Amino acid sequence: MSTQTPVIELRHVDKHYGDLHVLRDINLSVHKGEVLVLIGPSGSGKSTLCRTINRLETIDSGEILIEGEPLPQEGKALAQMRAEIGMVFQSFNLFAHKTILQNVTLGPIEVLGMSKAEAEARAMELLRRVGVDAQAAKVPAQLSGGQQQRVAIARSLAMQPKAMLFDEPTSALDPEMINEVLEVMVELAREGMTMVVVTHEMNFARRVSNRVVFMADGQIVEEGTPTEFFDHPKTARAKDFLDSIRGH
Amino acid sequence: MGIAEILQKYGQNYAMAIFETLSMTLLCFVIAMGISIVVTVMRVSPIKPLRLVGDLYVQIFRNIPGVALLVLVAYALPNIRIVLPWKTCVEVTVVLLASAFGSENFMTGINAIGVGQIEAARSIGLTFTKTMQKIVIPQALRSAVLPMTNLLIATMLTTALGSQVPLNPQELTGLVSYITTDSTGLGILPFMISAVCYAGFSFLLGLLGNHIDKKVRVLR
Repeated sequence: MSTQTPVIELRHVDKHYGDLHVLRDINLSVHKGEVLVLIGPSGSGKSTLCRTINRLETIDSGEILIEGEPLPQEGKALAQMRAEIGMVFQSFNLFAHKTILQNVTLGPIEVLGMSKAEAEARAMELLRRVGVDAQAAKVPAQLSGGQQQRVAIARSLAMQPKAMLFDEPTSALDPEMINEVLEVMVELAREGMTMVVVTHEMNFARRVSNRVVFMADGQIVEEGTPTEFFDHPKTARAKDFLDSIRGH
Repeated sequence: MGIAEILQKYGQNYAMAIFETLSMTLLCFVIAMGISIVVTVMRVSPIKPLRLVGDLYVQIFRNIPGVALLVLVAYALPNIRIVLPWKTCVEVTVVLLASAFGSENFMTGINAIGVGQIEAARSIGLTFTKTMQKIVIPQALRSAVLPMTNLLIATMLTTALGSQVPLNPQELTGLVSYITTDSTGLGILPFMISAVCYAGFSFLLGLLGNHIDKKVRVLR
């Protein structure tokens, strides 16, 4: 691993929902070009952790640093930082009243101040890359789930992010559409994008990630390379989890 | 006297009353829309006092009968040295009522958007204001077309409050009182003429609303 400042760093992060301690003393660094997969049983806090990184969830204590700078609390500075971290949601969350093309150009035009012509040219290129350029004039409801998720990825990429967060990007998809989305993600990983991926896709984790972080009950229980984790899990929690998803 | 004679004698008055009703309706509706957008943005803002003021505004003006509100505006406000012209009293009343209901329509539209799109907007770096401008308000406006058409019709019908104060020229309902006092023995005919006008305009507005809704509706 490089000795550079990590792109994303969490130090002693804690969060409660009322009595529930959802994140317990989380310490995590993600370096440039790294693909980190967060896995764990539902309710383990992995989605919450992912969402704290661009402050869609606040934290109670601890620190989150983006390229060594603390995450701003609110206002313009926070918006600015969010623009630099892409986010892909389980439920796509495309803007329903805008065309596919407008979904991708909105951020560049409104946040980066790009001209409409340039934003559209770049958006078309991104849509071509994820294979939905033919749908550019349609609205989200006219696309399949897999297509919508690929547009959502293009929308994030249009902001030229330093890192991308994926919060269960394939969990809401029909089985036959999962691969088309994973392929786009594999491609991104190959191109060196820094990625944090919450997923249940173990093949993706094994094939693409540099590091697997296993969470349970709001804690990081174990982390390691995919081979270490999947073939030689160290903790009983991780062994149980792997057994349960392998259908034993 | 039959309809023909009534129209011959009072046709001019009806024409002016129609103009009064429609112009008041348009003015009140436009202002009410502006206020409902402001009130709705307050109600969804991250600032709690603003949310409270917005909610209070809606709760107050949605729950007072129009006539009672008109009495307050026309006869209570002078006690604090606010004396408005009669027509303005009616317009203020209609605007207060319509804007409270308008904000409720927008809130319904906003609730239909869902938190996901708002999170997506924030995650590409849009500020609260931009998220409102680009994502929330446009969709709330589009999905509010049908309820707002109903509100426009209700606004028109509510301008009949103008019959409770001396207006000159009168609107469609006030004119009926004038005619039935001016000529006796007309029965309900003068009222029927006004009623047909109201119904006709309501019908046309309904058609227009449906047409607009089909064009701008957000597919989900």
